[in-house]
Amino acid sequence: MILTRRRLGRLALAGIPGLAGVSSLIGQPTGKPNRSYVNGVQFGLQPFCYHDLAMTPENRPTLVKRLVQNEMGMVELHATWVEPRFTGSGVSPQAAREKLRKWRLNPPADHYANIKKEFDDAGITIFTYYVNFDDSDTDAEIDAIFEAAKILGAKGCVGSFGLEVAHRLAPFPGKHGMFASLHNHDNLSDPDAFSTEASIEKGLAYSTDFKATLDVRHFTAGNGDCLGFLERHHARMSSVHVGDRRKNNGRSTPFGEGDAPIIEILRMIRDNQWPIVALLEFEHGTLRPEVDEVRLMFDYCKRAIA
Amino acid sequence: MAQPSAREGYDIAYIGPPMADPVLQHSKETYVLFGCSYCHGLYLVARGEATDLMHSRLVGRDENGKLIGPLLRAGIPQTAKLSPMPQFSDLSDQQIADLVRWIHYARQQGRYKELIEVKDADAGDAAMGKAYFDRSCASCHSTKGEFANITKDSNVLRAQILRPQSLNVPPSWRLDRLNDTKTAARQRHLALLENYSAEDVANLIAYLRMK
Repeated sequence: MILTRRRLGRLALAGIPGLAGVSSLIGQPTGKPNRSYVNGVQFGLQPFCYHDLAMTPENRPTLVKRLVQNEMGMVELHATWVEPRFTGSGVSPQAAREKLRKWRLNPPADHYANIKKEFDDAGITIFTYYVNFDDSDTDAEIDAIFEAAKILGAKGCVGSFGLEVAHRLAPFPGKHGMFASLHNHDNLSDPDAFSTEASIEKGLAYSTDFKATLDVRHFTAGNGDCLGFLERHHARMSSVHVGDRRKNNGRSTPFGEGDAPIIEILRMIRDNQWPIVALLEFEHGTLRPEVDEVRLMFDYCKRAIA
Repeated sequence: MAQPSAREGYDIAYIGPPMADPVLQHSKETYVLFGCSYCHGLYLVARGEATDLMHSRLVGRDENGKLIGPLLRAGIPQTAKLSPMPQFSDLSDQQIADLVRWIHYARQQGRYKELIEVKDADAGDAAMGKAYFDRSCASCHSTKGEFANITKDSNVLRAQILRPQSLNVPPSWRLDRLNDTKTAARQRHLALLENYSAEDVANLIAYLRMK
């Protein structure tokens, strides 16, 4: 099912909870449906999936081309596709970090707007901007990152960080009318890590502007209950990272070969009309070209909600 | 040996053209299929926070998977990293052996490339070189015997230290070749190659040039 303007109107009349979220996710002023909105679920890609493609600004045109080939109309864009790299031989990590900070505070005019246009022209919405915040970020830098995300058209920032950094980040997203999303990994041994339901709950309590990006693969590997998490926390979730892994810190697998309840998660999102974006992201290996593998995994998801 | 052609559904741009040795090719494909290349890199150039297998001391100490195999089966759940190393307990022994084979092969190729390109190959310390030679080479080689008239060309010496020409033969499954001295010597030198530092090589060159 494609979400048409007529159907949007019917949903609005029916007063379906979460509709405002769905509408804002689509974000097309003409009401034109996003190409990867399928049967009530907004899909997108976390382009880590393109294992062979280094995440650099130089490769961004290839990324856009591949997203279109994979029928993706939404993406979670990592900052490394956007920001220049200052690392290299003869440059110390500290010097590179300082150069990046200076660049972030004074980016070239229209840098982010031009990147947004690249994606807009290809019919791709940047849903979230992925930045690995850490304790080296200054306040001004964090503000600059959220402003950059806004220019890119993102609804919020997401990244791999722990409770301590999240605590510091708490006042920032609201200032920019955005959210910050907490992304779990599966490190059960680190008390600072987002990995268990309790750790994500603790982080969410730091700010009403925080949401959760439930990484289904990692949560499964950490023996978490994905369906229970959605049931209890769907109102605070921005997205799920969809992939498959085996439990007990098991390995990544192609969709349907691991322990992640992918079909059930997608059906839960569809049937409850939750504005939770399903971002495909996987780490399992394949001998196929990556575009073919993404297509296969996307087809699996489409069949799940057919 | 003729180069096999790539089959349909095989990402030649990423995995590379099929290798002449089908055992190595199968190992490479196994390494890709189980997702190792995702984090550790197809040619061991690590991505993100993954361990650098090219320079890992554990990989360097490993012999035929005795260290890597149990680690793969158990994973590393206790870690300071965001994502612990997963466990691969469901893999067959043969699959584990394939992963180990590719890791060592890729490491040998990578270390050779790194070490052959080091500048100042003749800036080593001969005394340190002698100590290394006595410790790791003297059980098979002698500077008074086969190395008495060895070349003084540091580049030739370095190439010979890293990959002795006489051992540079394709592996064979002939019964009389499986466990012969040449095969054992080849294995020994490949293990050394995985563990030489640039200083070790420079020191050895300095020592051998003095003889």
